[in-house]
This record gives sequence, structure tokens and C-alpha cells, in this order.
Amino acid sequence: MRALTSFRLWGLAPAWVLMGLTLIVPVAIVAGVSLADRGPYGGFDWALNFGSYREILFTLGWTDELEFAPKYLVIIARTLGYGLVTTAICMALALPVAYVIANARAGWKPFLVYLVTLPFWVSMIVRVYAWLIILGNEGLAEKAWKFLGGGDVDTFLFTNGAMLTGMVYSYIPLMVLPVYAAIEKLDPALLEASHDLYGNRWVTLRRVILPLTWPGLSAGAILVFVPAIGTVLEPMLLGGGRQMMMGTLIQTQFGGGRNWPFGAAIAMVLMAMVVVVLLLNARRAAAATEART
Amino acid sequence: MKKTLLTGTAMLCLAAPAMADELNIYAWSDSIAPELIEKFEAETGATVNTDGFNSNEDALTKLQAGASGYDIVTPSQHFVKIMIDEGLLEDIGAAELDAYAAVDDRWKGQWWDPENAYSIPMAYGTAGFAVNRDLYDGPVDSWAAYFEPTEALQGKIASLSYPDEVVGAAQLYLGVEFCTEDKAEMKKVYDLLMAQKPYVAAYSSDNIENRLGSGEVAAHFWWDGNTLRTRNGGANVEYAMPKEGLVGWLDSFVVPKGAGNVDLAKQFIEFMSTEENATIQYNYYAHSAPVKIDEAAAKYTPENAPELFPDVPVEFSRACSPAAQDLVTKVWTDLLQ
Repeated sequence: MRALTSFRLWGLAPAWVLMGLTLIVPVAIVAGVSLADRGPYGGFDWALNFGSYREILFTLGWTDELEFAPKYLVIIARTLGYGLVTTAICMALALPVAYVIANARAGWKPFLVYLVTLPFWVSMIVRVYAWLIILGNEGLAEKAWKFLGGGDVDTFLFTNGAMLTGMVYSYIPLMVLPVYAAIEKLDPALLEASHDLYGNRWVTLRRVILPLTWPGLSAGAILVFVPAIGTVLEPMLLGGGRQMMMGTLIQTQFGGGRNWPFGAAIAMVLMAMVVVVLLLNARRAAAATEART
Repeated sequence: MKKTLLTGTAMLCLAAPAMADELNIYAWSDSIAPELIEKFEAETGATVNTDGFNSNEDALTKLQAGASGYDIVTPSQHFVKIMIDEGLLEDIGAAELDAYAAVDDRWKGQWWDPENAYSIPMAYGTAGFAVNRDLYDGPVDSWAAYFEPTEALQGKIASLSYPDEVVGAAQLYLGVEFCTEDKAEMKKVYDLLMAQKPYVAAYSSDNIENRLGSGEVAAHFWWDGNTLRTRNGGANVEYAMPKEGLVGWLDSFVVPKGAGNVDLAKQFIEFMSTEENATIQYNYYAHSAPVKIDEAAAKYTPENAPELFPDVPVEFSRACSPAAQDLVTKVWTDLLQ
């Protein structure tokens, strides 16, 4: 017993140290900076100042009055909205793809899974630039659009659609893989049983496939949603940067804005949102396990 | 076996400083002639690594974060001033270098480095806007064409992703002083940019050459030399000469405090400032040279490179007070909220 306790303590020590140095300490530093006084030209001085958090809601207006300004809330809401839409699109696309892979012939499966992971071998920036060419003037998208009889378009770039396309493209492998793992485990006998009991395709999907693959879908949803709300590249390059997202807002504050504490405060809000999503999911998963036993 | 491994690791650690003949440069993207880097490596046996930045803010933030690992950075004048004030730069006794003797007198003893202790100028030029002449044939003699576009340019304009020079240009157009702390004046700047926003396709500082050259947009906020290079590359672009003036910049070589290889950095600065090499650099970078070059071998002249020889006033960006900078940031976040 004692041996086990001491193993838990010391055997896991490297893991604790690694977690502490790579996860907890950096977050603590960001939290500290968010409470610091800003330096005149960027940088900061340690302090206990909640001004940066107040600034998220109240800012000095053009008339020098402290006013309630929802601009940062709008940015936060927009970021969450695009994150959710990206996640939903990824889910809708990933389910059939994963289903096809799971039902492919045994020899093909590893190859198809490999294809899904292939983009990860190329740098993110390069992949986003590829979309600049596809969606750009006289690009593949425009040619396909005209071939299909679409009217004249100026450009597909610099629109929310272009940005969402880029985001879905970037994060969809993170959805396909866990969903594939879940479908792989799905017993075909259950689908047959459903059909035997006069369940049509829609009922089978809704009452058999979706509940059984839900763990995979929710894991994929988190893997997609979390990076999607922190995204910087797609809004800037494909979306045209006309509207800020939280990622670009944080970047502006640390860069041109020279207001590190405020940037850190926004980063803390972003992190808090991620934690809330993770906690909700953990609670739901725990409840589901309990219900089953 | 384990012992050999350990000894091996220890030796590697000891060996590391010995191969420290590495020069890490953090410069504007594609700003230093690759030919010169190779030549420098051949002459000194050192390895040169270059990283690129696209805005002064990026460079400043990286230095402020500490231990950047760079030996040479090339910020613009107002950021040189901020970096000196913030104690981020190494005093390299620039005035003692041979390179200093090559510097044109008008760049000596300037407000950003009055003692000439920290910086040696590398290139200078202007920020303005360029148009694609295949798509737009209207006038470009005023910032009005850019900030208050006529129908031909509406929805076909692109700006930068950070405020620094864009706000400066708007101030020139409106006659608002740079770095003003007067809120009412800056509100005018905000109103102008806000009215322009519906016609702006993108706010992006990356990939400008393609965006404008390929006709994705018809007008883009840009720099003189980059327009020149793209024009020489075959694109039908023209750099505007707005009568209200252009925003001036001068980039300098500086050495960050705590740089690993100050001597090699100074050697590189000297190397870049010799007449022969400065001419090669000028011909490559296509921005004006603040040091003496070989006029006979210079590729760009007022005849073939009008971009580099503006006939309108040039107003250099300054280092704003925090209060003034906050107003600039406010304009920008309110604009893109």
C-alpha cells in the first residue's frame, strides 16, 4: 500500500512537473499580467489592478465619458458564434466521411485515415494560403462556379464564407478521427436490428447511430471548437480582417495597442470560456456514465 | 553505455558555445539581399539565420518579451526611439563605426538616436498607396482617391492590418498633427476611416504583392520600393503621389540588449554599409539607401523609379506618447470591432 502511494507520488512526479511548467505556470503568468499596470510602450509592471477587466465593459468614449461599450462583448459573441457554426459544419460533414471510412474494405481503411491526417504534415499557414489561390481571382472556386452556370463574381475572398471554409477545412480532421473511432466500434448487428424492427433510415440514424457515436462527436466538437475560437489566420487572410475576432483582438493589444494587461485579460476570458465548455462536457459525461450503471 | 550517453550530452553542451559563430537577424520580410548573406557567410565562415517581420509592432513585442535570441533587428525610426527609451538596445558606439562615415549627413544626429550610439540606417522610403492600372484609371494625386473612393474603387481597396502608417496617412489627408492627444482631432480620423470601411475589401499586411498584382483589389496601402519591385515584375501598378504628402520611414540596423554575438553583428553592419554591398542591397531591396552607394552601378534612377523620388512632402512617423498611442488604438479597435 505504502509502496503504491509512494509510486503515485514519485512515479508521477515527472508528469506533474511537466504539467506545472507547461500548463499551470504559463496560465498563471498570463493571469498575473492581466492584473498588471501597462507599460507606456508595451510591457508591464506587476500590480493588482482590475482595470483591464473593467475595460472589457467600460471604456472612455470619444466624448471623454466612461461609457458602457459592448464592442468587446460583440467580438466575444462573434467569436463564439463562428466557433459554433464551424463545429456544426464539421460535425455534419465528418459523420458521413467517417461512416464511409469505417465501412471501407479492411485494406483501404488505414489508407483513408492516412489521407485525413495528410494535411497535418503541411504547415497551417501554407494550407491557408492554398485557399487564397483556390478562392482568389480566376481561382478554382470561381472556375467551378462559372462552369456550373453561376453568374459573375468579383471574388470569393474576404467574406465570412471564405473564412468559415478555411476554418472548417483546418479543423475537420480533428472531428473525423474521433467520430471514425466511434463508428468503427458500432456493431452492424444493431443497425440490422433497427431495420428488423421497422426503423427506417432516418430513425436508425437518430435513435441508434447518433446516440452510440455521441462520445466521438462530442470529443470532436471540443477538439474543433476550442482551436476555432482562438483562430487568427483564417479571419485575417481569408476573411479580410474587417471584423476582429478574439484572436486578432489579443494580437492587436500585444502588438500595435501596446496594452499587454488588456490583451492578457481578453486571453483569460477566452480561456475561461474554454474551461466552461470542458467542464460542462465533463459533467455531462459523468452523468451519462452514472445513468448507464 | 549510459555513461557514454551522458558524456556525449555533456560534450554537446560544452561544444555549443564554440559553434556560436551564428548571426540571427530579424528584419522586414525579404529585405536583405540573399546574395549578400551568402557573401557574408563565405567571408566570415559564420552562419546567418534570418527571420522576417511585417510590422514594427511585431519586432517591438518580440524584444520586450525578452531573450529574443536575435543579434540584429531593423526597426523604423520611431520604434528605434522607443526601443532605446525602453532600454532594449545595445550601445554599439555606432558613431565610431566605418559604416557611420558612409551615412548621408541628413540622417545623422536625428531625434531617434541623437548621439548615434545605437543605430546605423539601412534603408528609407515612404508609405502611401498603389493602384492597379489595369483596373483603375482615375486620378491618384490625392489621398481622397483612397480614403473617399469613387465608385471605380469602392469595394476594391485594401488597407493594412495595423494602424501605424494608415492612421498617419489619414492624418496627413485631414491636416491632423501626428501623435496628437486631442480627442476631437482623432475623432475626425476615426470618422474618415469608418466612412471608408464599407469600401475596404481587406485589412491585411500579408501577401500585398499578390493581392494588388493579381487584381484581387485595385488599390492597396503600400510602400514605395515594394510597388517598384512589383512593377518591375511586370504588374501594371502605380505608386500614388498624393499632394497631402506621404508617410516617411527609415529603417536602421540595431543590436538588441543581450545579443549573443555583438561583434559579429557589428561586422555585419559594416559589411552591409560598404559602397559595393550597399549598392547590391539597393538594387535588390529597391528602397532608397541612406549610405553612400556607387551611383554608376545603381539600378534605380529618378527616370526609371519615380516611386523612390517623391515630389510631394514626406512626413516621418514619430514615437507617440502613450496617451496619443491610446487614441490611435482606439480608432483602430472601434473601426474593426
